[in-house]
Amino acid sequence: MAQLLTRNVLDPAQRELQTALRSGAYLGFKQALSLPAHEVVAEIEASGLRGRGGAGFPTGRKWSFIHAALDQPVYLLCNADESEPGTFKDHYLIERDPHLVLEGVAIAAYAIGAHQAYIYMRGEYASIAETLARALGEALDAQIVGPNCMNSGYDLRITIQLGAGAYICGEETGLIQSLEGRRAYPRVRPPFPAVHGFLQEPTVVNNVETLACAARIMAEGAEAFKDLGTKQSAGTKLISVSGAVERPGVYEVEMGHPLMEFLAHEAGGVRRGRGLKGVIPGGTSVPILTAEEAAPLTIDYESMQSAGTMLGSGGMIVFDEDTRMPHALLRIAEFYAHESCGECTPCREGTGWMAWVLRRLLAGEGRPDDLELLLRVGDNIEGRTICGLGDASVQPVRSFIQKFRPEFEALLPKEEQGTLAWQSHGHGPRSGRFGSPAKEAMRSQAVDGPPTAAL
Amino acid sequence: MLSKEALREIEAARAEEESARHALLTALRTVQRERRQVGPEEIAYIADLLGLSPAVVQGVARFYDQITETPTGQHVLSLCRGISCYLCGADDVAAEVRQLLGVETGGTTADGQFTLRLVECVGACDRAPAAMVDDRFVGPVQADTIHALTKL
Ligand SMILES: Cc1cc2nc3c(=O)[nH]c(=O)nc-3n(C[C@H](O)[C@H](O)[C@H](O)COP(=O)(O)O)c2cc1C
Ligand code: SF4
Ligand code: FES
Repeated sequence: MAQLLTRNVLDPAQRELQTALRSGAYLGFKQALSLPAHEVVAEIEASGLRGRGGAGFPTGRKWSFIHAALDQPVYLLCNADESEPGTFKDHYLIERDPHLVLEGVAIAAYAIGAHQAYIYMRGEYASIAETLARALGEALDAQIVGPNCMNSGYDLRITIQLGAGAYICGEETGLIQSLEGRRAYPRVRPPFPAVHGFLQEPTVVNNVETLACAARIMAEGAEAFKDLGTKQSAGTKLISVSGAVERPGVYEVEMGHPLMEFLAHEAGGVRRGRGLKGVIPGGTSVPILTAEEAAPLTIDYESMQSAGTMLGSGGMIVFDEDTRMPHALLRIAEFYAHESCGECTPCREGTGWMAWVLRRLLAGEGRPDDLELLLRVGDNIEGRTICGLGDASVQPVRSFIQKFRPEFEALLPKEEQGTLAWQSHGHGPRSGRFGSPAKEAMRSQAVDGPPTAAL
Repeated sequence: MLSKEALREIEAARAEEESARHALLTALRTVQRERRQVGPEEIAYIADLLGLSPAVVQGVARFYDQITETPTGQHVLSLCRGISCYLCGADDVAAEVRQLLGVETGGTTADGQFTLRLVECVGACDRAPAAMVDDRFVGPVQADTIHALTKL
């Protein structure tokens, strides 16, 4: 198995600077500092590294968008919010090799000309933030980061910020808003963060794993990185696998690794020897694959795309043959309904309705056209929202219904359409972040919507 | 209202950042940790400390799930109900824990020790069904693990 990022994770002492240095920590940063910044960007571009946070955007290109005026501040934000259900790779990496993450942060900051970097971690990661803060303290004392990094004349301040429980803070502009001390309402793009980001200044947001890859690329060269993986997916990928498997955990695989082999070997197979029903390859925001669809695929961007899904965050969730898919989907739909920030209507209303219609189906109170209704609500969200959460919420609903339709059809009422008396619950969809009882005051009338009339 | 240490934390955040507003999230977290709530009194206090309007402080506070308007128990027990934990029997565990502690979701035990929350994926799905006791990850949990934990 290719080991690029996880080479040192089994040694608990790797968290300490002295041990980390012996295994080559900060050599990549040293190399970067010996080059002009634009050559660092070029090296990352040449490596073919693509963002590991979900979208797979080419990292070098993202860095090259920064064109700051002289003495205009630039910011690097490391996205360690990691709230995509099924994703826990950054958790593991920061906990086991914090210096690798700090090195990546330092390299990216240098490359884009930032003198201030923030590492934004979800509030639940407070204990991991302590490990990271300890590592940062050591790196500061050793003058690796801080003023005059490694005697290069380059100054870099790194700040760790903890969130307080909101998935939307992982969305890059939500993260920026949260960091500015605001509600994490995502911003309309354009302008993109590269132009107007944190404090309206040029900003790059990168995932933890992306930055760790950058550290290895600078230490070992773009060629070595490119040699790993496939044509469009260079390097390795951290896969956090969970659900119905024998050995859930974080594994590093070379891009292009066969998916079924991964499930059978690394993940230890489906638990209790059951059959595989489906697998979500990259967090709940990407379409699920049936066992049949998954069989020929490999773990890389292009293979996943060919099957109509995405590698996403690498949060792989496995469903065995005993799983009741409508129940599982409700759980996922409720997540999006709860985490929708409420800023834009299609997502705020639509995520609530999708969960609500699923709930009534499962309560045996469905209407004959509920599946069409669910798909239609999804169509009305997709492409019409400020941030990607809206689109993301549609992917599981649509793919579960399409691929496991008989299970959903079994929930529809048996009576003839005309004779069905559907009873109103008297309350609208369960509301999310914008409308929990405590937030009642914020709620618009429309959220409550007549449960029958509109449908 | 706050310990010296907590105050120092907030002031450090404030000194480091460009404006008081940036220290708000840290202030909310710190106050929540010490006071176990960010109610009206705490909001007024933070607003005063950072020179912000109470409306701003409250508006931001209400956005975040870990900031509560009413006091939590001494400890917060957060059971994950995320999809991977669901696939590993989280619903059953939650039902057993509710019974064991004699509280509903969101409630606090009679002795004030534990507030029970159901939360979305906490990023520890390899320990499904996962839970957190304050900032500590635990799992895979069963009702008796929780029983042992709550007897500490
Ligand atoms: C709703 C939503 C949640 C997201 N959550 C995360 C997250 O927790 N961590 C992350 O790295 N990226 C997350 N992203 C993607 C970020 O917006 C951003 O694209 C990413 O951090 C860029 O880093 P990369 O180019 O290194 O992948 C999220 C996106 C959306 C739409
Ligand atoms: S799509 Fe959803 S989460 Fe994103 S800004 Fe709109 S309401 Fe908020
Ligand atoms: S689903 Fe429970 S920790 Fe991720």
